[in-house]
Amino acid sequence: MSVISDIASELADDARAAVMAPVESVKDAKYTLEGIREGRVSPATVLKTAGITLGAAVVVALLLFPLYWVAVGAFSGTGASLYSSSGIRLWPADPTIEPFLWVIGDLIVPSYRISLGLGGYEVFLQTPELTFLDVSQYGVTETSEFKRFFANSLTVAIPTVLLAMCLIVPSAYALSRRQFIGRSKVLYGYVLFTQIGGGLGVALLIALYALFVQFGFNDSKLALSAYYAATAVPFNTWLLKTYMDGIPVSYEEAAMIDGAPSWKIVTEIILPLSKAGLATVFIFTFLTGWTEFVVAQTLLSTDNYTLPVGLYSLVGRYSIPWARFSAFALTFAAPIMLIYLFAQRYIEGGLSFGGMEG
Amino acid sequence: MSVVDSAVERVADSPVVSKDDLPLLLVLPGLFVFLAFMLFPVLYLVYLSFTNAEPATLFQGKEQWVGLANYVTVLSDGQFWNSMGVTWLFVATSVALKVLVGLGIGLVVTGERVRGKRFMRALIIIPLGLPGIFTITIWRGIFSSAEFGLANQFLRMAGLDSIAWLSERWMAFLAYNVTEAWLAYPFMVIITVSALQDVSEELHEAAMIDGAGFFARFLHVTLPSIKRPVLFASILTAAASFQQFLIPYVFNQGGPSRTNELLIVYGYREAFRFQKYGEGAAIMLVAVAVIGVFMMLNVKKGQLADGVDDA
Repeated sequence: MSVISDIASELADDARAAVMAPVESVKDAKYTLEGIREGRVSPATVLKTAGITLGAAVVVALLLFPLYWVAVGAFSGTGASLYSSSGIRLWPADPTIEPFLWVIGDLIVPSYRISLGLGGYEVFLQTPELTFLDVSQYGVTETSEFKRFFANSLTVAIPTVLLAMCLIVPSAYALSRRQFIGRSKVLYGYVLFTQIGGGLGVALLIALYALFVQFGFNDSKLALSAYYAATAVPFNTWLLKTYMDGIPVSYEEAAMIDGAPSWKIVTEIILPLSKAGLATVFIFTFLTGWTEFVVAQTLLSTDNYTLPVGLYSLVGRYSIPWARFSAFALTFAAPIMLIYLFAQRYIEGGLSFGGMEG
Repeated sequence: MSVVDSAVERVADSPVVSKDDLPLLLVLPGLFVFLAFMLFPVLYLVYLSFTNAEPATLFQGKEQWVGLANYVTVLSDGQFWNSMGVTWLFVATSVALKVLVGLGIGLVVTGERVRGKRFMRALIIIPLGLPGIFTITIWRGIFSSAEFGLANQFLRMAGLDSIAWLSERWMAFLAYNVTEAWLAYPFMVIITVSALQDVSEELHEAAMIDGAGFFARFLHVTLPSIKRPVLFASILTAAASFQQFLIPYVFNQGGPSRTNELLIVYGYREAFRFQKYGEGAAIMLVAVAVIGVFMMLNVKKGQLADGVDDA
């Protein structure tokens, strides 16, 4: 548990830093202004810096413009489509959250009737109907299947994470700390697969589909999770191993001299110290199942569609209902975007592993 | 954590295995599951490529061995060679674009005079965290052939005629490239930035004292120092381009009229659209072999697996 609370406190620090950033920059600006007034800083330097920074900000804004465009689209409502004939809109003409209501739909827990037999008597319990959001009040009558897709995605992603963690953590520890036959061969194979594995999934799709059908696994979400966990093994094992490599061996030696058994060294030293790596691997394996599209689309039937497949099924129709599509896409992607923003330093650290320091 | 505990305990208590290779047991489950879902399908794919499997025959167990017939058909098919050509062209153009864009952005967000660099870098790699299917469907909207797609709106603002992006061969190809570059730039930027930060400050100062301008310094100090990491990144991203599937598939199914089917899309469509599993399997295997040889050469040449040895 301490691992999770540590990560939580780091996240809190990050959030605080993000909130305080504008305050800090105002302070900076004030300091610079004072500097100019007192003649410590030359105005030309400040102007140059401001100009170049502005240029960089424009580059960043242009790069992220597609995302902004989607956000504008999502708030534009069904009537006012993105396809306005009056040029590019930077602000929705008539902002509305109707598309989002369409995506989320009703949030109502229906009332259940529970009957208990108590020695000849029967007791009925009627739970109240809980209404969190009733979209029909806002004039939205038909809703998307987002909730079903969401539930499907969860039932795929959770087993994926559980299975993958069970496979990855022990292997990473063994590869990092122990010597045994075939160790370097396994490592070499994992690294090689990490670098060429991306498209192999699609290449293997024909065989995978044929096998799944013959074993009767097609349309099985659990089998799909097992497949995702398997594809996540090489990269994440390698990633976690490199994290564990960074933990000084002397800690373990000290514990060993104090007479700690090796399982205790793992739970008391290795795992707590590799929490950043564990968090990264957790996120990566979760996202494997959460975002994969091609295999899910081929193997699952309409009832079991996960979120990415559900998203694509909106496009598949003869024309894309843009506002609704954008709202759906954003509801799907925004949480992932937030996770990435906060986990960024771990991911950046993870990507600069191995041979990258040329 | 409890998983590790019990596994380690079990291993420690087991009297059967020799003590030295105990850690192998920790690796085996992962390796086994991985191989079951990767190696086994590969072998099955090889088998399928030698049969005339179709959905109608395969699921009845009636597929027949046809030897190399699928490979002969595929390799003598003009469609295949078109796909092969387009794929390598796509690799060349998209990698060049990605390296240029990555370098450019990398230079901007490490610029000496730029304030708020860390914040900009955090923003800029957001697309890395976006699901591929999300990004690609968005870009399909941007390149919508309709009069009012975003790309066409920009054209109109510049006073040009709108273009039917996805139904013209080279315009669709251009759209693939732009989208691929946008998908890959965060990865390129991360590697370029970390390389740029390692460029020695002293060399820059020495060059400045010698009177070298910005461009001279970039050419003679920066470029040589970041060459290796950027080369490494371009090899990896070349492999990604070669295996690109989602962009053509979502944009226009590799169209118009099959002209832009990258290899993997071609194999996928032969199998699932035209129901020729055997031929599809043969195409996929040829593609895997080509990319395998390409990567092997690069691994040998660029020592990509260096990290394995210093463990």
